[in-house]
Amino acid sequence: MTQIATKHPNHPAPDSTGLSDADWQARLDRIASDPRMSEDNTTLSAASASRAAKWLFGAGIVGLLVTLMGAFTNGRHALGAFEVGVFTVLAISLGSLFWVMVFHSLNASWAITLRRQFENIASLVWVPVVMMLIVAAIEITQGGVLLQWLGYTGKEYNHLLEVKSPYLNTNFFIIRIIIYAAIWVGISRVLLSWSRKSDETGDRMLGRKARFLSGAGIPLFALSTAFASFDFLMSLDYRFFSTMWGVYYFASCALASASAVAIVATMLRRAGKLDGLVTEEHFHDLGKLVFAFVVFWAYVAFSQYFLIWYANIPEETAWYTNRQQHGWQWLFVVMTMGHFGIPFLLLIWRKTKRKTMLLCGMSVYMLVMVILDMLWIIRPMVYMNTSKADPGLAMIWLDIAGVVGVLGIFAGLVALKIPKSPLLPLKDPMLHESLKHKNYV
Amino acid sequence: MDMKNLINDAKALGADYFPMFLRKPAPKFVTESGNPVFGIVAEFDETPKVFKAAKKVRDAGYSKWDVHTPFPIHDMEEAMGIKTTKLPLMAGGAAVTGLCIAILLQWGTTDWLYPTVVQGKPFDAWQPFVPVMFELAVLLTAFMCIFGMLALNGLPRFHHPLFSHERFCRVGNDRFFIAIEATDPNFDPEKTKALLEEIGGTDITLIEDVS
Repeated sequence: MTQIATKHPNHPAPDSTGLSDADWQARLDRIASDPRMSEDNTTLSAASASRAAKWLFGAGIVGLLVTLMGAFTNGRHALGAFEVGVFTVLAISLGSLFWVMVFHSLNASWAITLRRQFENIASLVWVPVVMMLIVAAIEITQGGVLLQWLGYTGKEYNHLLEVKSPYLNTNFFIIRIIIYAAIWVGISRVLLSWSRKSDETGDRMLGRKARFLSGAGIPLFALSTAFASFDFLMSLDYRFFSTMWGVYYFASCALASASAVAIVATMLRRAGKLDGLVTEEHFHDLGKLVFAFVVFWAYVAFSQYFLIWYANIPEETAWYTNRQQHGWQWLFVVMTMGHFGIPFLLLIWRKTKRKTMLLCGMSVYMLVMVILDMLWIIRPMVYMNTSKADPGLAMIWLDIAGVVGVLGIFAGLVALKIPKSPLLPLKDPMLHESLKHKNYV
Repeated sequence: MDMKNLINDAKALGADYFPMFLRKPAPKFVTESGNPVFGIVAEFDETPKVFKAAKKVRDAGYSKWDVHTPFPIHDMEEAMGIKTTKLPLMAGGAAVTGLCIAILLQWGTTDWLYPTVVQGKPFDAWQPFVPVMFELAVLLTAFMCIFGMLALNGLPRFHHPLFSHERFCRVGNDRFFIAIEATDPNFDPEKTKALLEEIGGTDITLIEDVS
């Protein structure tokens, strides 16, 4: 007697739902008939988004033009201001990529209704990547503007640059940037395209695939983000090194992206979209992420500072002593209080996280603090090792112009991206859980 | 809740632990045998029934009562009208206390009472204080969380009057119970019993507080 192995009609598909095809179809029908999932509630018209985008692009172009004007009088400073904007925007989009991968790999059900906004912002990572390439092109063709090690030829022997040259050299720098760009743009576009595809087909295996890719993508993301921050931010002072640096930049990534999505979600709710889909419960959890990474940033920033302060090794300490003079010590106080103390005390209250507008206000504030953090890293290096004295606040218009320029362009592109697909993954395997999400504590 | 009730509660709680110093306040209701009344308990056999009943007890204005179930029921705290706990505020107070102790302890000893040069750092350098400030704040917060929780819910205790109710054993298996306590200002043996009957409770029993 032979047995023939046949597929049982109710055999569950090998995905996270564990449902048979018939049960899955029934669930999709049930979700589709939910009044909250109406066409009007889940899509944004391109017209209303482009109205907002027009203003943002306007601000961005004005900012970039002013930066360009500044570049003719003071190229170093203009490049520094531009970089502050670029690395803030890179933090926002890379952090979104990180959150999307975390949601996928942990099967996070609460975040499903918010995930499309994370995906939108993550898939725009090409914007800061292109700007990063522009920065790299300027640095390489000018033989090192802020990245002094790019100009090292070996004619005047410099011991540190000599021993670091296997890593800090132009060719390897170019190769690394290409690898970073490929990883970030590749993963983010694939994840968004799978998510959009599942909106149409309702294919559950796409969620499974995304989960697999995310598992591989998180270590890739971690390494590429850390090394990109070494290449562009830590090596601004080639003498300096810190093993916390990658985590320090990552803390800003996670914080800035959670804040940015809180702002986008608030705007969508104000436009009357996602009613009942993104509720105060989702905002509460998003606020918890913001709160967690406010604390995480403080933890990492202090750990880095504390060890360097205690060990007192000249190469490392110089980075901080440069920032304890010429007025930068005030930024130190602003960062300790403004980036940690005040938001810690405000975000710890349940109400701040649950009231949409309060969380939105806090998120805008946190984004300003992330910009100040990037300013704290990049800006003091502009006049370091030059004959010019730091003009301080006299040239602040250039710093503001650089940041507004980059952020304006990026925000405008986000506004144009949002209406291109439904505002949430319509047929995600875990959507039903996000629809009834509730915090019991 | 007024002050008189609060003092009475504290006295009753103290009398449980220190019967040699404190006498229990006289009970409002006693049974024929002279024992104080703990309250009235009603039994339910389905989750939706006990959920709807809890809402009605809440709407009737009772405050000292409880629902006993074999498993956690989502949204029950809302159905029972339980207010948010004050524990986070207490924990926050403990954190601030820990922070202040750490600052006094370190600044007082290394800068004020007995200034000592350590590793060539300034006496009043704040950097080395931070880890201890953090640790002490966390330690006191953790203590407040665990002991504050125990103080607020009246644990640990050796016995509960409801255990004298034979049928109450099934709360660990397949039955749900609503118990309204006699210390509730709205408690009235007849009216409370009528309410529990009206909301669909079965086997309504008066429980004595024998201890």
